[in-house]
Amino acid sequence: MDERKIGLFDILGPVMIGPSSSHTAGVARIAFLARRILPGRLDRARVSFYGSLARTYKGHGSDKAAIAELLGILPEDERLGFAPELAAREGLDVEIVPVFDAPERYHPNTVVIELVSGDSSLRVRGASVGGGEILLQSINGFEALIDGRLEAILVFHRDEPGVIARVASLLAEAGINIASLASRRRDRGDEALIVAEVDGLIDAALIAALASLPAVRDVVHVPSVKS
Amino acid sequence: MSWLFTTAAELLARASEAGLSLPDFLVAREAFYSSTSPEAARAEIARRIRITRQSLEAGLAKPQRSFSGLTDGAAAKLAAADRAAEAPRAVADPFFRLALSYSLAVNEVNACGGKIVAFPTAGSSGVIPGVLWAYRDACRPDLDAESRPFQDAFVLASGIGIVIASRASLAGASGGCQAECGAAAAMAAAGLLGLRGGSAEACLEGAALSLKNCLGLVCDPVAGLVEVPCVKRNAFMAANALTAVTLVEAGVKSAIPFDEVVGAMKAIGDSMPASLRESAGGGLALTPTGLVYKEKIERG
Repeated sequence: MDERKIGLFDILGPVMIGPSSSHTAGVARIAFLARRILPGRLDRARVSFYGSLARTYKGHGSDKAAIAELLGILPEDERLGFAPELAAREGLDVEIVPVFDAPERYHPNTVVIELVSGDSSLRVRGASVGGGEILLQSINGFEALIDGRLEAILVFHRDEPGVIARVASLLAEAGINIASLASRRRDRGDEALIVAEVDGLIDAALIAALASLPAVRDVVHVPSVKS
Repeated sequence: MSWLFTTAAELLARASEAGLSLPDFLVAREAFYSSTSPEAARAEIARRIRITRQSLEAGLAKPQRSFSGLTDGAAAKLAAADRAAEAPRAVADPFFRLALSYSLAVNEVNACGGKIVAFPTAGSSGVIPGVLWAYRDACRPDLDAESRPFQDAFVLASGIGIVIASRASLAGASGGCQAECGAAAAMAAAGLLGLRGGSAEACLEGAALSLKNCLGLVCDPVAGLVEVPCVKRNAFMAANALTAVTLVEAGVKSAIPFDEVVGAMKAIGDSMPASLRESAGGGLALTPTGLVYKEKIERG
C-alpha cells in the first residue's frame, strides 16, 4: 500500500450520503471498488457485515450503501437511500448477512462482498477504517492492500519468471510512476496476483497491453475513490 | 521540496520554505499528490463548499426528521425563533444564532441520510460550514462565496484537520468525540481567524484554545446512531469555536501550544475505554432512556 500522507480531500470530504462516514460512506466505497473489479452483469451478490457493522448496519443504511454501489450508483448520489427498491426493479437480489462472530484478525468494521457474474466470481474483503477512509484487504483470497487514494492495477497471472519485470517495464514506457507494488502467489507456478498503485491516470491501451503479456490471465483497473 | 508534515510547526515551515501562503501550499500539495493542477484542485474545493451550502439550505428548508425519530427539526425550530419578532432571545447576536442553526441544519441532513461533505467526518459535518457560512451571511454579505478568501478559510481548516489526523485521529472509534466534533471546532476556529485576516500563528492559537476545551470528550451515541448527542453537539461546537476566536482576537493566548494539545488528545484517546469510542457500549447509550430508544429502533 502507498504510504502517502493525508490529503486535503481526505479532510474536506468525502462528499457522501449520511449518516455515517465509517458505516455508510466507507461501506459504499468498498462496494464501489468491488464492482469496478467485477464490472459485468451481476447474477448473484452477497454482502456480509462483521463487528460493529453487523450490529448497526440497518440504522446507518450500510446495506443500502452497498446495494447502491453494486447497481453503479456513485457514493455521493442521493438515490443511494432507495437502492433496495432500485435493485428489486432491476431483478438483482442482494443477500445481506450480519456475522456476529468475526475472526479475531478482522478489523471491527469489516465488509465481505461476494459477486457472481457469468463464469466469473469475486470475493473482496475490506475494512472501513474511519472518516470514509477504507482499506481493501483481500481479493479472491490474495492479500491485496488498496486504500483507493490512487489508481491501482491488478494483474492476475501464472507464477513464472519475468512477469513483474514485464509489467513494470510497460508501466515505465507509459510514463506511469509506481507508488507501491506487491505480489502474492498461491504456490510456486500457480496463480499469482500483482497489485500496483500508481500516480496519475491509467488508460485502456495500457490495460490492453498488460493483458496481452504472456502468462497474464486478467488485468483489472481499480480507479481511485476520490469523490 | 518536501510536502511532508505532521505537526503544525512543520506545516508552517514547509509553506514558508516553498514561499507560499498556508492555503496555497495546501492546495499545491494536494495537486501534487493527485497528479492534477492547483486550478483543478481549487475547482474541486469550490464544488465541495457549494455542497456544504446545499446541505445547510436543505436542513433549513423543512424540519429534518430521521428514521429513528431521534432527529426532529432542531434547526428549523431555531430558524423559526429567529423569524418570530416576539421570540425570547437571551443571546441576540445574529452571527451566533445563525452559526447554531446552520451547524444543526447540516448535521440533521446527515442524520436523515441526505448529502453532505464529511468535513472532517459525517458526525461533525455541521460545525465548520455552520461557522463560516454564518459569518459570511451575518457579517460579510458582500463577500463572494466563490472568492479566494472564503475558499481559503475552508482550506486552512483542512490544514488543521490534516495535522490532527496525522498525529492523532479524526475517528470517534479511535479517539472519541474529541477527535470528531472537537477537531471540527478547532478547524472552524482556525478557518474563521484566517478569514478575518488573522496570522497563521493566530489561527493556531484559536485551534489550540478550542481543542483544549474538548479534550476527553467521549463518543457514546444512543443506539449507535449518528444523532444523539452528535447533532446538537455540532451547534455547541460552533459556539466553542466562536469563543476561541473571540478570545484570540482579544489577545488571549493558549498556555499550551497547538501541537502539544494534539499530542495530549492522542494520549487521551489511547487511554479512553472502548465502551466510549463509538461502540454504543457506555455513557448516554446505556442510560435508561437511551436503552429505551435503542429497543424501539431495533424493533423497527
